Amino acid sequence: MSLAMQRRRATARRIWAQFRGSRQGMIGLVVLVVFALVAVAAPLLADIAELNPVRARAAGNPQWASPGEFGPLGTDHLRRSVWAQFVWGSRVSLFVGLAATILTIFIGSVIGILSGFIGGKVDAALMRITEWFLVIPFLPLAIVLASVLGRSVWNIIFVIGITSWPSTARLVRAQVLTVKQRLFVDRARSLGAGPGHLITRHILPNVSGLILANATLAVPIAILTETTLAFLGLGDPSSASWGKTLEEAFVNGAIVRNAWWYFLPAGIGILVVVLAFTLIGRTMEEIADPRMSRRR
Amino acid sequence: MTMLSVHDLSITYRTRSGPLPAVRGVGFDLERGGSLGLAGESGCGKSTLANALLRLLPAETEVTGEIVMAGQDVLGLSPGGLRAARWTTGAIVFQGALHALNPVQTVGRQVAEPMLVHSTVPSGDAARARTGELLERVGLPADRADSYPHQLSGGQRQRVLIAMALACDPQLLIADEPTTALDLMVQAQVLSLIEDLRRDQDLTLIFITHDLSVLTYVCDDIAVMYAGRIVERGPSFEVFERGAHPYTRALSAAFPTIGDPASRMSPAGLGGDPPTPGNLPPGCPFHPRCPLAEPRCREEEPPLRESGPGRRAACILV
Amino acid sequence: MGRKVLGSILTLAFVLVFNFFLFRVVQTDPIGSLFRGRNVPAEKIADLREKFGLDEPIGTQFVFYVRETAQLNLGISYQSRQPVWDEIARRIPATVVLVGVSAILSAVIGTIGGIVAAWRRNSLRDHAITSSTMVFYSMPDFWLGMILLLGFAVVLGWFPVGGMISAGSNATGIAWLLDYLHHLFLPALTLTLAYLGEYALVARSSLLDVMGEDYLTVARAKGLRDVIVRRKHAVPNALLPVVTLTAINFGFVLSGAIAVETVFSWPGLGKATADAIRGPDLPMLQGMFLLFSAAVIVFNLLADIAYAWLDPRVEKE
Repeated sequence: MSLAMQRRRATARRIWAQFRGSRQGMIGLVVLVVFALVAVAAPLLADIAELNPVRARAAGNPQWASPGEFGPLGTDHLRRSVWAQFVWGSRVSLFVGLAATILTIFIGSVIGILSGFIGGKVDAALMRITEWFLVIPFLPLAIVLASVLGRSVWNIIFVIGITSWPSTARLVRAQVLTVKQRLFVDRARSLGAGPGHLITRHILPNVSGLILANATLAVPIAILTETTLAFLGLGDPSSASWGKTLEEAFVNGAIVRNAWWYFLPAGIGILVVVLAFTLIGRTMEEIADPRMSRRR
Repeated sequence: MTMLSVHDLSITYRTRSGPLPAVRGVGFDLERGGSLGLAGESGCGKSTLANALLRLLPAETEVTGEIVMAGQDVLGLSPGGLRAARWTTGAIVFQGALHALNPVQTVGRQVAEPMLVHSTVPSGDAARARTGELLERVGLPADRADSYPHQLSGGQRQRVLIAMALACDPQLLIADEPTTALDLMVQAQVLSLIEDLRRDQDLTLIFITHDLSVLTYVCDDIAVMYAGRIVERGPSFEVFERGAHPYTRALSAAFPTIGDPASRMSPAGLGGDPPTPGNLPPGCPFHPRCPLAEPRCREEEPPLRESGPGRRAACILV
Repeated sequence: MGRKVLGSILTLAFVLVFNFFLFRVVQTDPIGSLFRGRNVPAEKIADLREKFGLDEPIGTQFVFYVRETAQLNLGISYQSRQPVWDEIARRIPATVVLVGVSAILSAVIGTIGGIVAAWRRNSLRDHAITSSTMVFYSMPDFWLGMILLLGFAVVLGWFPVGGMISAGSNATGIAWLLDYLHHLFLPALTLTLAYLGEYALVARSSLLDVMGEDYLTVARAKGLRDVIVRRKHAVPNALLPVVTLTAINFGFVLSGAIAVETVFSWPGLGKATADAIRGPDLPMLQGMFLLFSAAVIVFNLLADIAYAWLDPRVEKE
């Protein structure tokens, strides 16, 4: 094993040890693992056929049944099991959250690295675009884009990715500038290293910690954005995310009927997952930049 | 008359990683009108000692011993009595980094603040007038009062801090590293300012620094601190030229003297780092870095002993 | 400062360009969409097309668009067939009140909470404040609204289930005001709770930074009481980042109003946006986007100016 690989392994182990020592980080991680398992094991926990309203009617399910009367979480206006919606909804919400974040981080990192590394006019131009995106209120922008593009899962992922990358780009660029300073005091450039080598071997390793922490904190934003877009009717009609559940509950009068079981679980699911990611993200921030823990 | 009397002062910080003894059994007396230099490297406890004189340490810090300033038992004062004594009996000239001044207030307002708090002037206008006087006394034009800290140079900020310290006519002036962050030329100016003020106002002065050579200009006596204790005490010139403690000698040699080109060419550094308060070596805390260390040094920490007329050092070789 | 204003105008210009081109991509046949489902003779449609300049090259259309927008002619709503600007103008007061009240309350309460938490760092009070604000901040704002609506309006019946004024009421004066406030309470509470977390967090961390500064020790050394040190030296410095935050957060509160107004049927711009989505009433959406963006840009500019005025370290031109 090369020296570089050994060092990387040692760093990873050290980071994990630090993470394990943090109580908030571990709580977040455990919760997240539980939900990930629920999402993955969805077919085992609830039959997807139960989401089909025709089947639900045929099975003679009661309408608006409370948790005591039917299943662990009762039924909705279409006689479908709310528990099944919760379990299967976790899949969509988590998937969209993660996919949108990957897109956000990818775009943000590329732009941030290019901007910081190349500098000059390219930097100025990219930063102008970034600032523009930052000033525009992102929910109206997302709404406008989603309305124009149409309602599908991939469009939603695209919209969230396109509207959320600016803050990542700014963070990454700032870090790249710091590293670049150190780098040119270093001997790397005088050794005749090309930009590709500099970026992959020197800049990326120093920036990746920050990117990872930022990514972890970006997932909650993506999930909440998807939830809001779904609630407003821009979600994919064929896939039932937690946000869609909330939309259906509201539109069909779950509130006035006091059918709390319909919208409470989905919201709690979102809340808990978002909190978990936030706790993990804060822990990773503290690890990446120890000065953070002094402030907390 | 004794202006300041410190007896067996020990200060221990309470931290998450355990107790840190920053000052261990320090004692000294200072006569009215006298000037004492306190020298030592970072972490030796000198700033902690300075802050303790006005009880400015964090609440959880353990302070034992006795501090008597102008006849008052500082450690036993009530909160009201303490606030009244601060700045009027003893005042601190802090290190003039941008952080010692509030960046969003004018320097004039900050200089005038203690006057208004202690009601040493009859009105706001009087405070403003006196601020102008003080600024001129330290060599700044009076209209600088309306400047903000970031608009002043390092030397100017240091002068502001001196003016501020004098605002309530204190009897004791404690200067904590006032020249450390300054250029050499500006250092000389500030030192000569402090010396003039001391003479004009008959101030009692404690001057804290890590640069031993500076103390010979402003102070009659020097006390050298290491690892929370005073390891040598005596008249400044003698301590500087002929230190009794090996640490003092190393400290003198490490700094080129202002105005002496030869010493600039061959400074002798001391290897290693001073011990952190939580990790003191057994016996004499200096022995790991001491060129004259003996096996005996590891066993027992030597007390301050007479090493000459009016001189004391904490070394077994004395 | 001139540069800041210029920057804002430039950003607004970008918004106009973006708005125009995005909707042109979708609106392949705006006139046709306008009269969808209505029986209108073909010549009338062609006539209108010509009147709106839809046969012109795209550059001309853009100039036309900018000119019309400057005159507040934002098109006709598909759903109501009324001018978009009329629909918007009618609803501005309702949203201004809701967002204004919520933004102010969340800023004040959140900042105070953050300051209290920081001053007694790691105490029970601190943990309680930081945890609870983090929980509120992590939930969908409209879901919080749904819960409050269920609890306080449906179950307890203390508040109305929606709307701005009781239906069929012709109360005036104080009675009208009380009815209005009665309807305003729950939506305002929702938005306030949802967004005070960010203020608490920033105020707390800002004050923690300030608390480490030497000038606080200096102030204490001068004989000031702890309370005065906090009031005169610590808090004013800690509040500076909060000013910047109000600009950023305003955009979020405004956006949050979209879903929350929907939940409470509060007849403002947010609910209008949500209704427009269901169409999709593209001219309305276009107008909303322009308005929301303009509001945030202007507010950011104001906060920028306020900050420059407050912090003496910023270069005054």
